[in-house]
Formats: sequence, structure tokens, C-alpha cells
Amino acid sequence: MVVGLRNFTERVGDGAGQPVLNADNGEELMHVESGVAIVLGNHPPESPGTLFISTKQVIWLSDVDRAKGYAVDFLSVSLHAVSRDPEAYSSPCIYTQIETEENDADSEGSDSECDGTLDLSKITEMRLVPSDPSQLETLFEMFCGCAELNPEPNDEEEEEHNWIFSADQMEDDATDLYRPIQDLAVYAKEYFLSIDLYKDPTAENFLNEFNV
Amino acid sequence: MGLVQLFFSYFKDLVGREVTVELKNDLAIRGTLHSVDQYLNIKLENTRVVDQDKYPHMLSVRNCFIRGSVVRYVQLPPEGVDIELLHDATRREARGG
Repeated sequence: MVVGLRNFTERVGDGAGQPVLNADNGEELMHVESGVAIVLGNHPPESPGTLFISTKQVIWLSDVDRAKGYAVDFLSVSLHAVSRDPEAYSSPCIYTQIETEENDADSEGSDSECDGTLDLSKITEMRLVPSDPSQLETLFEMFCGCAELNPEPNDEEEEEHNWIFSADQMEDDATDLYRPIQDLAVYAKEYFLSIDLYKDPTAENFLNEFNV
Repeated sequence: MGLVQLFFSYFKDLVGREVTVELKNDLAIRGTLHSVDQYLNIKLENTRVVDQDKYPHMLSVRNCFIRGSVVRYVQLPPEGVDIELLHDATRREARGG
């Protein structure tokens, strides 16, 4: 699975039509929207093109250049929204943020603008501008539905919940043994507080042993 | 009841309240909690970016869907939090889990 935006060039038939999907994986086409321009990062809009939303990914294919297309898995779409604020972007559109590989050196939201080349792996913002803005709500809901179909792969319940109760616990290897004792100390402290015994130095020393 | 289920139930009770969601990429978004699902995907309404200098392009969007896996924190309204209840529930969960 590729994190982030990537080129997509596999088209059905003689290259004029729909994207090739992974039917073995159960991938299905959910929605097709023609007349959509794509805006990657701060680059100029690319159009005309067609948007294909499948159960696994978002694909945009250029209508004029059969070798040009982009796709991103829903797993990499961090957020999506309907943007109608003209200050944010001149046309109403679907705004998305794309998760990229960890690259601390790069500034947020930008891509390699210095020489104009498009580095897809660094694109963190993508806008989809339909020529028919009345379709925006439909597209938004479609994105929501498909995002819900793509939860994190290892989202099952873990065997152990590594919950931290105090900073000290982070260094302690025997947390499983320590935790019940810590809990007891917390309860003890609360009890002592309630009967005003916490001010008693003896009690305080006792409790300090447990880092309460 | 798993921990995710616990938070799912907890967030469901917060629907309609103002929350601030901080993502792992440091973006913070404030809005009204519209809904949450079992993967802790969050839908916000009337959202605005908290630090507009960092993300000027986003500004205000009406509806926003945030993937659960990219959320770092959800900042809750103090009046929406019953600390004792949450504390007990998570402690019980940690012991039982």
C-alpha cells in the first residue's frame, strides 16, 4: 500500500475509459464525476478530468492526456471537507489533506515549488473542483462513506492495553505488577486525605514510597 | 467493552458540543461535534482552523470529516467532562483488559 498521492495510469480498454480497479480485492467503483479539475498543493489546477471514487481510493484521470492520472488511497486521506470560502479558494471544491511519509525537513502543506516539478509524495493538500458545484454535498458524503469502509488495518483490539498512569511507569518494566500497588496507593492517599491524615509525616513517607 | 468502544460511547454523548481536534500533523480544528463512528472518525460542523497562519488554505469549512487514525487529541469542553466517571471507567477497563 502506498502512502500519499501517486500517479495512476492503468485505464480500461484503449485508454479512453475508466481506471483499472482491483476486483480481486473487492474494490468497486462507487461514483463517477466528470468535469472535475484537480489542484495539487499550490500547483495550478489541472483539467479537464474525471473523478472516480472507488471503495478503496480516489482517482482522477485527465480527459485529454491519457497518460496522466493521480490516485490516493482512502487510508491516506486524513480529512476531507466542502470548501466554499472564497478566501480559501476561488471556487467551491472538496478540500482534502493527504498523509505523506514522515519527512520532517519539509514544511507543511508545501511541495517542491522551487523548480516547479511536481513531487507527488510531498503533496499534502488536494482540491477537487467540480464544474457543477451542486454536486459537492454528494461528493462529500461519498468520501465519508468510503473513508468509513477503510479503517486502519490493525484496528482490532490489542491483547494488552498499555495504559500509563504516571510518568514513572514509562521506565518501569514490571508495570503489570506495579499497577495494582500504585492503584492501592492512590486510594490510600485519597482515604488519608479524607481523614486529614495526609499531613501526618508517617503517612506521607509511606505514600512517597509509591510515588503518589 | 473495549477501550475504543468506551471512547465511542463517550464521544457520542458529546455530539452537539464544541470540541477542538488536534491532528498528528499539528493542525488543530475547532467545530461542533456532529457525529463519531466506531473507528473514532469524527465529523465536525462549522469548523475553523485554530492556527490560521499555518494552514491558511483551509480557513473555514462547513462540514469536515476527520479520519480517526490521524487524531492526536480531542479537546473537550470542561462542562462536558465528568472526570470521575471517565477516570473510573478507564481504570476499570485497563484492569479488565
